[in-house]
Amino acid sequence: MSDKSDVLVIGAGVVGCAITRELAKFNLKTVLLEKENDVCGGVSKGNSGVLHTGLYYPKGSLKGKLCVEGRLMFPKLAKQLNVPYKLCGKHVIARTDEELKDLEGLKAVGEANGAKGLTIISGKELNKREPKVDALSALYSPVAGIMLPYLFTIALAENALSNGVKIHVETKVLNIEQVNSGYKVTTTQGVFYTDIIVNSAGLYADRISAMLGLDKYKLYPCRGEYLILDKNCGELINSMIYPVPPKIAGVLGVHLTPTIEGNVLIGPSAEFINMREDPRTTKEKIKQLMSGAKELLPSIPLNEIIYGFSAIRSKITPPEEKGSRDFIIREDIENFINLIGIESPGLTSSPAIAKMVVQMIKKRKDIKEKIDFDPTRRRTTPFRESSRSQQASLIKGDPTYGEMVCRCEHVSKREVIDALNNPFSARTISAVKYRTGAGMGRCHGGFCLPKIIEILTEEYGMLPKEIYLNNQKSPLFIGTTKELREKQKSE
Amino acid sequence: MKKEIICIVCPMGCHLNVEYAQKTVLSIGGNRCKLGLEYAEKESFNPERTLTTTVKVTNGHLPLVSVRTSKPVSKKLIFKTMALLSKVMVEAPILIGDKIVENLFDTKANIIATKNISFKKRST
Amino acid sequence: MNNFTSQDVDLIVIGGGPAGLAAAISAKKNGAQNLIIIERNNWLGGILPQCIHDGFGLEIFHEPLTGPEYAQRYIDELKKLNIPYMLNSMALEITPDKKVFVASPEDLFCFQAKAIILAMGCRERTRGQIYIPGTRPAGVYTAGVAQNLINLKNMMVGKDVVILGSGDIGMIMARRLTLEGAKVHAIVEILSHTNGLPRNIQQCLIDYEIPLLLSHTVTEIQGINRVESIIISQVNEKLTSIKGKERKIKCDTLLLSIGLIPENDLSKTCGVKLSPVTRGAIVDENLETSVQGVFACGNVLHVHDVVDFVSLEAERAGKSASECILKEQRKEKRIHIEVGDGLSYVLPQYISRDTDLELSIRVLNPREDASIGFFDKDALLKAEKFRKVHPAQMIKIKLKKSETKNINTLRVEVLQK
Repeated sequence: MSDKSDVLVIGAGVVGCAITRELAKFNLKTVLLEKENDVCGGVSKGNSGVLHTGLYYPKGSLKGKLCVEGRLMFPKLAKQLNVPYKLCGKHVIARTDEELKDLEGLKAVGEANGAKGLTIISGKELNKREPKVDALSALYSPVAGIMLPYLFTIALAENALSNGVKIHVETKVLNIEQVNSGYKVTTTQGVFYTDIIVNSAGLYADRISAMLGLDKYKLYPCRGEYLILDKNCGELINSMIYPVPPKIAGVLGVHLTPTIEGNVLIGPSAEFINMREDPRTTKEKIKQLMSGAKELLPSIPLNEIIYGFSAIRSKITPPEEKGSRDFIIREDIENFINLIGIESPGLTSSPAIAKMVVQMIKKRKDIKEKIDFDPTRRRTTPFRESSRSQQASLIKGDPTYGEMVCRCEHVSKREVIDALNNPFSARTISAVKYRTGAGMGRCHGGFCLPKIIEILTEEYGMLPKEIYLNNQKSPLFIGTTKELREKQKSE
Repeated sequence: MKKEIICIVCPMGCHLNVEYAQKTVLSIGGNRCKLGLEYAEKESFNPERTLTTTVKVTNGHLPLVSVRTSKPVSKKLIFKTMALLSKVMVEAPILIGDKIVENLFDTKANIIATKNISFKKRST
Repeated sequence: MNNFTSQDVDLIVIGGGPAGLAAAISAKKNGAQNLIIIERNNWLGGILPQCIHDGFGLEIFHEPLTGPEYAQRYIDELKKLNIPYMLNSMALEITPDKKVFVASPEDLFCFQAKAIILAMGCRERTRGQIYIPGTRPAGVYTAGVAQNLINLKNMMVGKDVVILGSGDIGMIMARRLTLEGAKVHAIVEILSHTNGLPRNIQQCLIDYEIPLLLSHTVTEIQGINRVESIIISQVNEKLTSIKGKERKIKCDTLLLSIGLIPENDLSKTCGVKLSPVTRGAIVDENLETSVQGVFACGNVLHVHDVVDFVSLEAERAGKSASECILKEQRKEKRIHIEVGDGLSYVLPQYISRDTDLELSIRVLNPREDASIGFFDKDALLKAEKFRKVHPAQMIKIKLKKSETKNINTLRVEVLQK
C-alpha cells in the first residue's frame, strides 16, 4: 500500500461515509478505512433514524447549526442516492404546566437555530392529528422526518465508491505516525500513507486521536435500548411523538418513531456503561421503555413488540455533568481533523459535517471539483414497493424476482443476491438484512434464514462454517451434522 | 417393585404404573388400551425405540435423507447406530422404504429411507 | 394496462403443507374441479419433511409414520388426482372479492377464485416477543428453524445447547441434537408443567437424561458474537424470576421453543376476522371465516398438537369449500359458542343447529378427572368425562344434531366437582 492518498478517513459510519462521498467530488485520492466487515457496522445503524430540526441545541453551537443545515440538504441527497425518507413531522408533547413552559423554550431555541414552521398547538388539535395521544399541548415541527440510517450510510459509501474512492473494510487502524510529508497509518491490512487524516471513528475516535498523542479526549459510552413494534401497529401514530426532554444527560427521552418500513420504534433509553462493546439489552430498560411508551400512548399494544436492540452513543459529556457538550470538529494537529463526540444529531448533521470537513481540507490543499462526478446512485425499486404491474415486469425480466425469500417483507431472491453482491463482499446475514429488510419482520428470520443460507451455499458455494451472522467472529454453524459423532467415534 | 412410565405408543401418553418382580410383570395400570400393556411389558425389561435420524446423500436434491429403523431396536443400540450412520453415504435417487443398512447389528431391523430423494448433479 | 396474468379458478388453496394437501384432496373428491394449490417453498408437505421423527399418522393410518412418510401419502394421492400445484410461489394479497395475487418465478398471477382455503400454517414465536434481555449474538435459533437447518440442510447449529420451552418441537430437538452429538444442558420451562405431549417427555428427555427445569426461564443471553452463556432463573407463581435463584450455563446455542402463532398476515388483507385467543380466523362449523367463501384449516386456524387432526380438519374445509362452489350456500343464523370456565378456546366459534358437529377444545390448566359440560343457559345438555386434560392436548368432542336441535345458546365449560 505504498500508494499515498491525499485524504484518509477512518471509520465508515454515516459521518465517515458522508465525508468520503463529499471528498469524492474533488480531484483527490481518498481512502476510507473501516475495522468491521461492512460499512455502517457500528453506532450509525442503531438509532431512531430521525431527521432532526434543531430544537435542543444552544444557538451558535455546531450541533444546532449543522443539524439544521444537514436537515435542509437531506431531501436532495436522498433523491440522488435513491434512499427513502419521509417528512412525517414531530410533536413534542407537554403533559404538565411546567412542560408547557418548556415547549416555549424549545420553540425559541429551534427558531434561533433557523428551524422553520415551528408551532405550538392545543391538546385538542394534537388529538385530531394523533387521536391516540393525549396532552395539554404540543410543539409541532413540520419538517422533522424519518429515514433509514443504514441504507443511507450504505448508499453514501456505494456512491463514493463508484466515484473512485477506495474503501477498505476489515481494516483496523493500529498505529499512526507523523512522517516527513504526512502520516503513516499502520493497520491490520498493512500500511497506508496519506497527507491528511479525518478521524471519524465514532466510539473509538478518542483512541485514534490518542495514537498521535492527543489523549485529552475521553468518550463516555452511553447505551440506548430500543423496542420495535410490528408493522401492523404502523397506524398508531402519524408523526414522531416526543416527551419534553428530561433534564438529565442531554438525551431526548423515550420517544415513539414511526419507521420508513412501517414499524414503530420505542426508545432510546440512556445509560452510561463502562465498556464500549457491551451491546446488551436489559430487563430494567425494557421495562422503562414500556412504561415510557405507555405514558406517551396509553393504548400502545406492547404484545406486538417483535424485537429489541441497543447501541452505544459516543458521548463526550461526563455523566455527572448532566448536559450535552457540543460536537468537536477541528484540526487538532496540522492535517489531522478530529471529529469527537458525534452523537445525536449526528445522523441529521452528517451531510453538513461533510461539507464543513471539506472546507477545512480546502485550506490545506488546492482542490478542484471533478467534472465527471456522478451524484446518482442507481437502484431498482424494491419488489415490495412496486405496483402489481411493475412486479410482473420485474419477474418477466428476471424470474428470481418472483421467488420470495422473506415472507414478512416480501423480499425476492434477486434482491438478496444483489445485496450479497455488495462491493465490500460482506456475505453475511446482517449484510442482507440491512440492505433488503429480509429478517427484520415479525418472524425474525424464521422463513428467510434457511433460504438465505441456501443461496449462500448454492450460489456462492459457501460451507456451513463460512456462514456468519455479522462477521467472522459470529459463525452460525459449527459444521455439518454427523461431524460430532464421527469425531467422538475416533476418540 | 413399582415404577411409573409414560406410554409412547400414541399421543395420549398414558402414565402407566407397572409393578414387577425380577423378570415378571405383576400388574399394569393406567393404560387406556391394550397397546399400553404390550409397551409396559417391553419397557420394563428390554426397552426398545424406533430410531429416526438422517444419512448423508450424494447427488441428491437434498444433502441428507431421513431414515428410521424398520422396527424398534434396543435402546442400548441407539448411539452405536448413530456412530455407524455418521459414516454412511448413499447415492440419490432414493425412494421411501429403500434399505440403507441391512440387518442392523444382527437385530433383523433395517435402516430404511423415509423420504424420496431425487437425483441432482452436484459439482462438489 | 396490467401485465400480470389473470386466471379464473373455482378454488385456490393457499399452502401446500398437511392442511393444504388434505383440503385440496377432499375438495376434489367432493366435486371441485378447477382448483390449484399455492406453495411458497420448493416442496410440498410444509414442515413435515423436516419432522423426521415418528409418531404421525396413528389416527388416520393406524401406524406410526415419520413426517416425510406422512406427507408423501398425501402427495401421492394429490398427484393421482391430478391436482395442480405451484411451487416457489407466494400469495402476496387476497382482495375482499377473492382475487389472489401470487408471485412466482413464472409470472405474477392474479387468480379470481370462487372459494379460498387458507392453509398457511403458523410461525414460531421469537426472542423479541418474550423480551429476553442480553446481547444479540449468533447461536440463538427458534427450534423449528434449527430443525430445518439440521434435518434438511445438513448444518449443525451448535454443540452445547440450552432449550427454552418444553413444547414438542423443543423436546424433539433436544433428542435430535443429542443424537447428533451435541450436549443439551437443559430444557427450561417457565410453567410448572411441560407444554408438549407426555410421550415426548419419556422418549426425548428421560431416555437421554436431559434435565427438564420447570418453573425456570432464561433471563439473559451473553456473548457478543456467538452465544457464550445464558443466565437462567427460577420463577415464582407470577412467572417472574426470583432474585438469588439465577445461575449461569455455558453454552454456544440457545433454542427457543416458545410457542407458535397462526400466520394470518395474508388473511387480514381480505378482511377475515381473527380471534384474539386462537389468533386464527373466527369460523363456523363449515370452517368458513367471516368472509363468505373463504375457509381456514390447520395451524393457520388454531395451533394443533397432532398432524392427523390437521388433516381431518382440512378435509372438512375442503368439503365445505367444494359445496360452496357447487351450490349457493344458505347462510342461516348461527349460534355463538360461549367459552366458559377452565377453557382457553372452543372451535368453531359459531355453529348451526342442524348438523352433527365436532368441536376442538383446549383447557387452560392440566387437571385429572375433569368433565366438560355443554349448557343451553343453565340447562346441562351433555357432559364428557376425561381422566386427564392438558393444555398441550387438544380435546375433540362430537355433538350430535339431536343434542343441539332445540338450543338457543351454547356454553362449554370445565365442570367444577
